[in-house]
Amino acid sequence: MERQIINKKKRVFSVEPNKIPPSEVFRRKYTSHLVPALKKLNMNKNSPQINQLSVKHEVDMALALSAQEFSWSRFLLQKLSSSNNPTTTSSSSNGIRIQERSGKEGGGDEDGETEEKLRELQKLLPGGEEMNVEEMLSEIGNYIKCLELQTIALKSIVQDTT
Amino acid sequence: MLESLVSLESMSLSSMDVSVLERLKWLQQQQQQQQQQQQQQVLSSTNASPELLQFHGTNNDELLQNTFSHFQMLRSGFGPNYSMGFGPSHEPMDGCISRTNSCQMDQADTVGVMLKNSEENIAFSLKSKRKSEVKTRAEEKTEKKIKVEAETESNMKVKSNLSNTEASSETSKQTSKGASEIQKLDYIHVRARRGQATDRHSLAERARREKISKKMKYLQDLVPGCNKVTGRAGMLDEIINYVQSLQRQVEFLSMKLAVLNPELELAMEDLSVKQFQAYFTNLPVLVASKPSLMVDAPLFPLDQQGSLDLSVINPNQATSIEAPSASWETQSQSLYNTSSLGFQY
Repeated sequence: MERQIINKKKRVFSVEPNKIPPSEVFRRKYTSHLVPALKKLNMNKNSPQINQLSVKHEVDMALALSAQEFSWSRFLLQKLSSSNNPTTTSSSSNGIRIQERSGKEGGGDEDGETEEKLRELQKLLPGGEEMNVEEMLSEIGNYIKCLELQTIALKSIVQDTT
Repeated sequence: MLESLVSLESMSLSSMDVSVLERLKWLQQQQQQQQQQQQQQVLSSTNASPELLQFHGTNNDELLQNTFSHFQMLRSGFGPNYSMGFGPSHEPMDGCISRTNSCQMDQADTVGVMLKNSEENIAFSLKSKRKSEVKTRAEEKTEKKIKVEAETESNMKVKSNLSNTEASSETSKQTSKGASEIQKLDYIHVRARRGQATDRHSLAERARREKISKKMKYLQDLVPGCNKVTGRAGMLDEIINYVQSLQRQVEFLSMKLAVLNPELELAMEDLSVKQFQAYFTNLPVLVASKPSLMVDAPLFPLDQQGSLDLSVINPNQATSIEAPSASWETQSQSLYNTSSLGFQY
């Protein structure tokens, strides 16, 4: 209660409201979510090594929280909050998928191929398999953008610490 | 033929049965009157028709699909205007029928002109449109747009004519509403090419495919290196690769972070303090410690809420971050939370 009052007093309205690009807002949100989370992780697990999975978990959580306008972020949040073992996309599974894909490309007509690839895209996108194709395509667009921003933010964080 | 028409109409139209039947009967009468003339004209113009057919063939898709999509839209919009527009003008219907049969030079290309007129955003009455069509038919041949060319002349002709006439009234309505172009309607207008089926299922499918290809184009701009690859499969390949590489990058960076995490605190303090100061002084955007990132960040479309509501603390965030012990941490958290974005394409 007290904190809320204090926080309300600190409410800041920028002079030029429309000049903050969404990418910057996303990045700020992302770092604001991630950094404290990492700190907390750090503090809590002082002696044992910081679990890579938990870091990944925090990373994904920060992504989902920073991009809540999109449906894929909701799916991601659900996944993360429901399970403590994050089932996020890992490179190993992607590798297997690549091999499979190249194997299947040999045969099949054009439509079959595109269908296959669309399905793969759906697998990549969190929650993509529950959407229909059109929706998935538009969601993939903003998912890609958010991923790019996320990599940039992570790079900067890593750079700052080294 | 009439029965097939009637079946088509009954399938697609529920509210306009009466008027459609009236029109069909009227059409039938017209055709009977015109057949003799048409036969003569067909014989005389058979030489010209192949060229015209070819020429029309290329543009067939646009018009036909436009009319059909209009046709589908017309149901709700139709009402009383329909009969008014249609009753008195017989001449252009003749034009439609005879044109598709014989590619007459002197008869109007009703659909072409009607749709073209809608594009020009002129509030023509139906009658005046058709009269102008009669005169300007020759000009339209050179026009880029829309001719109706039937793959099976009898069926398609009447179907297209019907849809044309409906489309005309609809387009006149739309022009009055201010829609300057057909493409600005909510529906995606699918164009049937010559030789393609024009039943509703394939139409819907084609509309769906058009939407998908639109989105693919957007994705093509988004993903670097997609321009060189042509074809859906290649593009999808590139997109998949790109998404996978991005995800792998994120994973790699998070691994790095996990290793570096103990050193995080000190560095992050400076960072957060700088951001803190930036917020308080109302500086636009630039975070002092990350100037290079501004350049790297991909451009989003703008449209941003201005107010930074610092009092908003995400409830979800609380799950991962419990009550922080240090006081400055609470302050920094509240500062970082901003209002929701509006990503727009």
